[in-house]
Amino acid sequence: MSSSRPSAFDALMSNARASAKKKTQPQPKSNSPKKRKTLDHPQNPDKTLNSVQSPQTDESKKLINTSDSSNEPKSEPNSRSDSLLKVNQSKKLRVEDKNAGLKSKIVLLKKKAGDFKPEMVANWEKGERVPFIFISLAFDLIANESGRIVITDIVCNVLRTVMDTTPEDLVVVVYLLANKVAPAHEGVELGIGEALIIKALAEACGRTEKEVKKQYKDLGDLGLVAKASRSSQSMMRKPDPLTITKVFNTFQQIAKESGKDSQDKKKNHIKALLVAATDCEPQYLIRLLQTKLRIGLAEQTLLAALGQAAVYTEEHSTPPPHIQSPLEEAAKIVKQVYSVLPVYDKIVPALLSDGVWNLPKTCSFTPGVPVGPMLAKPTKGVSEIVTKFQDMEFTCEYKYDGERAQIHYLENGSVEIYSRNAERNTGKFPDVVAVISRLKRPSASSFILDCELVAYDREKKKILPFQILSTRARKNVVMSDIKVNVCIYAFDMLYLNDQPLIQEELKVRREHLYSSFQEEPGCFQFATAITSNDLEEIQKFLDAAVDASCEGLIIKTMNKDATYEPSRRSHNWLKLKKDYMENIGDSLDLVPIGAFHGRGKRTGVYGAFLLACYNSNNEEFQSICKIGTGFSEQVLEERSDSLRSQVIPKPKSYYRFGDTIKPDVWFEPKEVWEVKAADLTISPVHRAAIGEVDPDKGISLRFPRLVRVREDKSPEQASSSEQVAEMYNAQKHNHPNNQDDNDDVDN
Amino acid sequence: MLELRLVQGSLLKKVLEAIKDLVNDANFDCSSSGFSLQAMDSSHVALVALLLRSEGFEHYRCDRNMSMGMNLGNMSKMLKCAGNDDIITIKGDDAQDKIADFEMKLMDIDSEHLGIPEAEYQAIVTMPSSEFARICKDLSSIGDTVVISVTKEGVKFSTRGDIGTANIVLRQNTTVDKPEDATVIEMNEPVSLTFALRYMNSFTKATSLSNTVKISLSSELPVVVEYKIAEMGYVRFYLAPKIEEDEDENETKPKV
Repeated sequence: MSSSRPSAFDALMSNARASAKKKTQPQPKSNSPKKRKTLDHPQNPDKTLNSVQSPQTDESKKLINTSDSSNEPKSEPNSRSDSLLKVNQSKKLRVEDKNAGLKSKIVLLKKKAGDFKPEMVANWEKGERVPFIFISLAFDLIANESGRIVITDIVCNVLRTVMDTTPEDLVVVVYLLANKVAPAHEGVELGIGEALIIKALAEACGRTEKEVKKQYKDLGDLGLVAKASRSSQSMMRKPDPLTITKVFNTFQQIAKESGKDSQDKKKNHIKALLVAATDCEPQYLIRLLQTKLRIGLAEQTLLAALGQAAVYTEEHSTPPPHIQSPLEEAAKIVKQVYSVLPVYDKIVPALLSDGVWNLPKTCSFTPGVPVGPMLAKPTKGVSEIVTKFQDMEFTCEYKYDGERAQIHYLENGSVEIYSRNAERNTGKFPDVVAVISRLKRPSASSFILDCELVAYDREKKKILPFQILSTRARKNVVMSDIKVNVCIYAFDMLYLNDQPLIQEELKVRREHLYSSFQEEPGCFQFATAITSNDLEEIQKFLDAAVDASCEGLIIKTMNKDATYEPSRRSHNWLKLKKDYMENIGDSLDLVPIGAFHGRGKRTGVYGAFLLACYNSNNEEFQSICKIGTGFSEQVLEERSDSLRSQVIPKPKSYYRFGDTIKPDVWFEPKEVWEVKAADLTISPVHRAAIGEVDPDKGISLRFPRLVRVREDKSPEQASSSEQVAEMYNAQKHNHPNNQDDNDDVDN
Repeated sequence: MLELRLVQGSLLKKVLEAIKDLVNDANFDCSSSGFSLQAMDSSHVALVALLLRSEGFEHYRCDRNMSMGMNLGNMSKMLKCAGNDDIITIKGDDAQDKIADFEMKLMDIDSEHLGIPEAEYQAIVTMPSSEFARICKDLSSIGDTVVISVTKEGVKFSTRGDIGTANIVLRQNTTVDKPEDATVIEMNEPVSLTFALRYMNSFTKATSLSNTVKISLSSELPVVVEYKIAEMGYVRFYLAPKIEEDEDENETKPKV
C-alpha cells in the first residue's frame, strides 16, 4: 500500500503554502525511487488484509493514482515547487475537480421529479459508498429553499440517486436526512454538548478553545464556525473523503461510548470526522452532531419524498389500477406506515425489496415499537361538541391529569412503558409493570394499552395533581423507595393477542379492553365514561370530572370514524377543559426565546419573556407574545436562573419576530411553558402562524399568564403555528363581533 | 505460527505507556525481521512508528507476515499484569499448552500505511531525553505551541502565552562525563518550526525508554522525535508543524 499512497511527506507538501521558498538542496525528479526507499517495512502484512476488506475503495484509489501519473507532465500554473508538490497538487486537484463537478451538478436535484434522471448528479460508481459531500451539498440546497414542494423534489431526487447507485446506503441517507441515529424508542443519543464540540473543533484545527468560543459568539452557530475554521495545523496525510456510512457508523459509535473517558473517546471520534471533512461538510457534520440540522426539512416531507422516490424507482410492482395519483398515494402510505412503525431500519429495506404498494403488508404495527399517541382537539363548550358530533354515537371520558403512557405487554411476559415521546419509561414505573402483570386476565397474552398514569393517594382514595407525579425519580426506581403511588387509568387498546386493533372502532377496542383486565381501585381502573347525547348530562359529567381532580373531558366517536389514528390530533377526539369557557379554550405550550431585564421590584431577574410557537414545516420558532404575569417571585427567580445559562449572543436564524421586538437577551430554545390567555388576536408585530390567517401579520395572545413548565415536552413539541391558527379561527367563529377592536392592542 | 519471547517485559510495557494516549487502536505488524507498528492519531497530525527488531527477542518465530489489530488501552491493561522482570511471550494463531495465558480479542482496523522516506534533515539535535521532557512540560504551562529554532548558536525552544513568553536555549555541549548527557547539534542549515505542545508532551511519555532523544528538523517536514529502544529498535514520533499564524490571518477572516 505504501507505493500506491502518497507518503507522509508528500501529503505534507500538499498542505504547504504555495509560496514555499525553493529548497536549496537538489530535488531531482526522483519521486518514485525516493518513494521506493521507504522504511524497511516488512512487506506490509496489512496490505492483504486491507485489500480484502475494501476492494472498492482500493480500486478507486488505483484509478485516481493512474490518472495522476498521466497528469504529471502538465505544468500547474501556480506550482513553483518541486515534483513532489506537483504530483500531490494534481491529486488534490483531482479530488477538488470531482467535488467541483458534483457541486455544479447538484442544482439539478431541484428539477421536477418527472424530469430528473437518477444518473444526472451522481459522480460515484454504482455500488460505491455514497460520499458525504453529496448529502452535505443537498443539505445546503435545501437550506436555501423555503417552498415545501421544491424541498420534497430535492429530497426525492436525492433518494432516487442513492437508490439507483447504492441502495444499501438508502437507510443511512434517510437517517441522516431525519437527523437521527436510531428510532426514538431505543433511546440512543449522541450525548454531545456544545463544550465537547468546541474542544474537538479547537483540537482538530490546532486553535485554542478561546478562539473558537469567540468566533462562536460572532457567528452564533457552531456549524458555521466549523466551516470558517481553516486549520492552522498541517497534517501527516489528509484522510480519505468521508462517506455517509463512515459518518453514520461513527455517530453510532459515539452514541455507544459510555463510562470512563467516554467524553474523550467521543471527542476523538468527532476529531477524526472533522479532519477528513472538506467544503461545506464540517458545517453539516457539526449540526448533525448537535441534532440541530435546521434546514427546514420536516420529517413528514422526508416521508412523502421517500414514498415518491419509491414510485419512480419501482421495479417490483405497478400501482394498483384503481389508484389515480400514485405519487400522492405512495406518500400517504409511507406516512401511514411510519406512524405505526417508526423504524427506518424496517421500512426502508421493505420498500426496496417489496415495493411501496406492499408496504402496509410488509411493515405493520408490532408490540415493542411504540407509536405516537392519538391526540385530541380542543373545544370551547358542551354545545360545540353536540353540534360537531351530531347524529353520531359518542362517549365522554374523564381527562386525567397525569402522564400519558403506552404499555406494551409481549408474549414472553415482558412489559415496556413508553412516554408520549416514545421514550422508554419502564425504569421509572416498576410498580406499574407489576400491576399490569397482576391484573391482566389470562386470556390476554400480548397487548398494547393506551392509558394515563396518575398520582394517587390510596389512603384518602384521591387523585393527586400532576405536580406530585413529577416529583417521582426518573430512572432506575426501586419498588421499595416509591413514595408517590400511581393509578393506571386505561382508556384504549391498540393491540391484543397478535391482532392490531387500531383499524377497529372504539366500541370494539373498548370491549377488548374491558374484557382483558380486572379493575382494582387505586391501582388499575378504566377511565370513567358515559355515553350520552344530552347537553345537560354532559355538563354535569364535566362538573363531576372537575370535582374528581380531572382536567375535564375527552369526547370520542364510538362507531363512525372511530379508528385509532397514531400521532394525529384528530377531529374524532375532542377535549373539553374546565376553564375553557372563561378564555380561549386550551392552554398553549410555548417556548421562551428572549427576555427583557426586570426593573424595580424585578431588578436582577428577567421582567418579561418573549414566547414563541413552533412551525414544523419551516422548522422555525415564531414569536407570539410577551409574558410577565403568572409568575410568583420564586418561579420568576427559578426561570431566570435556569434560562440565564441559555443566553445566546444573537437570535437564531430560525427565530421569526417583528423588527420592533428587541429583547435584552436571546435564549437557546430549551424550555416549554404552558400558558393561558384571554384572547387571540391578529398582530402586526408577532409572527405566529404568519401567512395562515393573514398574509403578513401573525397572531398574538392577549393577557397571557404562565401556568407551569412542561418538563415533558421538547421545544419542537410546543404548540404549532397550525394549532394557533386553528384556535384563532375557532374563536373568530364564536365571537365574530369582538374581533375588530383587538387588532392593534398587543405589541 | 507466531511466537515472540521478550525477556525484558518492562520494555513492552513502557512502549505501550508511551503511545497508548496518542493512538487508541493500531495494527501490530509481525514479519521475520521484526515487530513493528505504525499509526496516526485521530487528527492525522502525529504519527508513531515503532520497531522492535527480531534480534532483540530471546526467541522469535514468525512463519508468515501477520497483522494484529489491537486496542492499545486493553493491551496496556493486560501488560500491567506482568511484572517488570517477567518474560512476555506473544503468540499468534493456535496456541497449545501454555501457562499464564492472557488472550486478547483482536480487531480489524482499517489502517493506512504510509511509506516514510529517509530524508536528509536540515538539523538534528540529540539531547538528554529527560531534559527535553522537562522543557516541553515547562513551556506548556505558558503557551500552546513551541517554536523550535536551530541556529549556529544552538537550539532554542520558545513559546508565548497570555502570561508572558519563555525561551530556553541549549548550546552544543559534548564535554560531559557521561555520553548520554551530551547535547549534540548537527546543522546544515538554520531551521525554525512551530508545533503543538500537546503532542510533544504526549511524546515525552516515552522518556523512560531511552536516556537520549533525537530530534530531526527540516522546514515544512514533520519533525521526528526518536527514542532508541535498548539496542533492538526505536519508537519514532512524527509531528506535522503548525502553519504560521500571521499567514492565515487574512484568509480565515470569517465572512459575516
